[in-house]
Amino acid sequence: MRFGIFFELSVPRPGGKVAEYQVYMNALEQCRLADELGFDHVWAVEHHFLEEYSHCSAPEVFLAAVAAQTSRIRVGHGAVVCVPEMNHPIRVAERAAALDLISGGRLEFGTARSSTWTELGGFGANPDDTKKTWDEFVRVIPKMWTQDSFSWQGKSFSMPERNVLPKPLQDPHPPLWVTVTSPGTELDAAERGMGCLGVAAVSYEEQERRTARYRHVIANCEPVGVAVNNRVHTMNFLYCHEDYRQAARTGMQMIGAFNTMNAHLYWTREAYATRAYQSLGNIGQSLKQASTPDDPSAAKGLPEGLGVGDPDHLVSVIKRWEAIGVDGINFVLNAAEAVTQDQVLDSLRLFAREVMPKFAGPHNARVPAPSSLPVGFA
Amino acid sequence: MLLTGSADVLVLADQFSVPTIAAWSGEPFEMVDVHVLQLIAELPRTARECVLPPGLHPTEPAALSIQAWRVGDSAIGSFTFCHTRLSCRSGVRARGMTTAAVASTTAAAMLLRERFGFPSHVGHVRLDSSYDRCDVTVLLDDTPVLVMNNLDPQPLDANDVQYTSTLNLAHTPNGLRLVQVDADHHTQRLERLTARLTTFDARAWGDSRIDPYFIVTTTLARAETVTLAPVRFVCRADISAFEGTESVRH
Repeated sequence: MRFGIFFELSVPRPGGKVAEYQVYMNALEQCRLADELGFDHVWAVEHHFLEEYSHCSAPEVFLAAVAAQTSRIRVGHGAVVCVPEMNHPIRVAERAAALDLISGGRLEFGTARSSTWTELGGFGANPDDTKKTWDEFVRVIPKMWTQDSFSWQGKSFSMPERNVLPKPLQDPHPPLWVTVTSPGTELDAAERGMGCLGVAAVSYEEQERRTARYRHVIANCEPVGVAVNNRVHTMNFLYCHEDYRQAARTGMQMIGAFNTMNAHLYWTREAYATRAYQSLGNIGQSLKQASTPDDPSAAKGLPEGLGVGDPDHLVSVIKRWEAIGVDGINFVLNAAEAVTQDQVLDSLRLFAREVMPKFAGPHNARVPAPSSLPVGFA
Repeated sequence: MLLTGSADVLVLADQFSVPTIAAWSGEPFEMVDVHVLQLIAELPRTARECVLPPGLHPTEPAALSIQAWRVGDSAIGSFTFCHTRLSCRSGVRARGMTTAAVASTTAAAMLLRERFGFPSHVGHVRLDSSYDRCDVTVLLDDTPVLVMNNLDPQPLDANDVQYTSTLNLAHTPNGLRLVQVDADHHTQRLERLTARLTTFDARAWGDSRIDPYFIVTTTLARAETVTLAPVRFVCRADISAFEGTESVRH
């Protein structure tokens, strides 16, 4: 089991420059501590114009700072928006390779296509096309990383022969991921040999179904990269405290803030009728109250599967996720600063001390998480 | 925390000439052979909260939906109807708050006012659709207040459009409340069109600050059955839906 932390960089109203600065500084401090404690990944989203919900529009800059201030934790784009109006694919390949170099081969490369009209409309992107451009991006970027001469005639862009530079440090290239919100996207990931990076809180039953389908399809995938990434990570929330009542109070306050902000986004499907967005993409609406007697969350009145509670509770919850085939969990630590920085750091420390040792993974070895560095770099 | 509306509820009630629902009806209202045209347009950022009450949250960007219905048949016969709604959130739910409505017959205006709280006036409403276009015209006192020409229909799947539930500010047996109207659409054909909004009298549609300056998309659903369910929930307009939601007893 791998453990990661996941940043939206939400800034509570009234916001302003000082509040934004503080949120960024708090996040970097959390990353430094997570690195010391043995967490495996830091992920940062790419969102634009989403007031309060996410002020993380330049994740490559944030992740570069994380890379510079840490030594072992892997840095993840969670994820780059593969829409040409927002990111030209050549620039995506260049920036990601540079980030892989300066992080010493610690990049995880997540891809997405955006689900809000706020973002797509702001850039003048056509929602009908985003799935097609995402598919084009994920097929060409690994080639730009691995070929000395690359040319392309495609739908969203074309280019004559060039050598896209620099090349990433990892061999053959950084692991590829797809963010999965809507049912069915896990199959897009599987068909292309890409990791399934869940970014919606779903129930055990739904995740088990998605994971089984993903494992079945990826066994016969046609990988878009040179290497297949067959990992399944989910998104969760973390607030760990010795007293589960305190954990539930504080944790559910954070989750409530996150879900409310998320529900207030202006979804593409709501504004623009299209075949390309069959669900809203709302990631906070699927919390399910635990009800089965064997679920440890049921007795405590918590939604099932959440990383909120005392250490023993979290161990039992994560064991359940592990049993249904999830091999990584990425935790949102805060939302709109609903939890104080001291509480976040204490929660991380307690989790690392009492919960992480109960699970096998590189966090127990205190060595760099596995990557694919060329000979001489490992 | 979250951005909320800043309009005074009593001022809004006067501004929208809100109706009175004397008693709740447990009857659904079914309309058949309905054409529904929905245009979504962005509004200026400056208007995003000042035309919503404190109980609602504006979307970012602020947006207006214009819905025009041509009803082939119903319990009150055929009629046409057009209303404008501001996109918003009530608690965590996506909603549209009605700012004005015009119906082509007195019977339709009265039913929609008295049973569902639409601030309907009687006017001239036309929705003309053909193979290549759909035109909507609304006149009040013989003055055009809305003219839309929608061209070049492109077929979509019937389920590709999202209709959010409506909130109508009205005097009700529970007091001055936002009345939640849930419409169940069964669509056979859906098309997306390119819209031209050539006339929009903002004052006639509820507030002079409503300026649909950037059209996002327009859809036309043909041959629908639309059923307005009996009202189940109302919300206070001055406080959040988390605290202000009430069930309706028929």
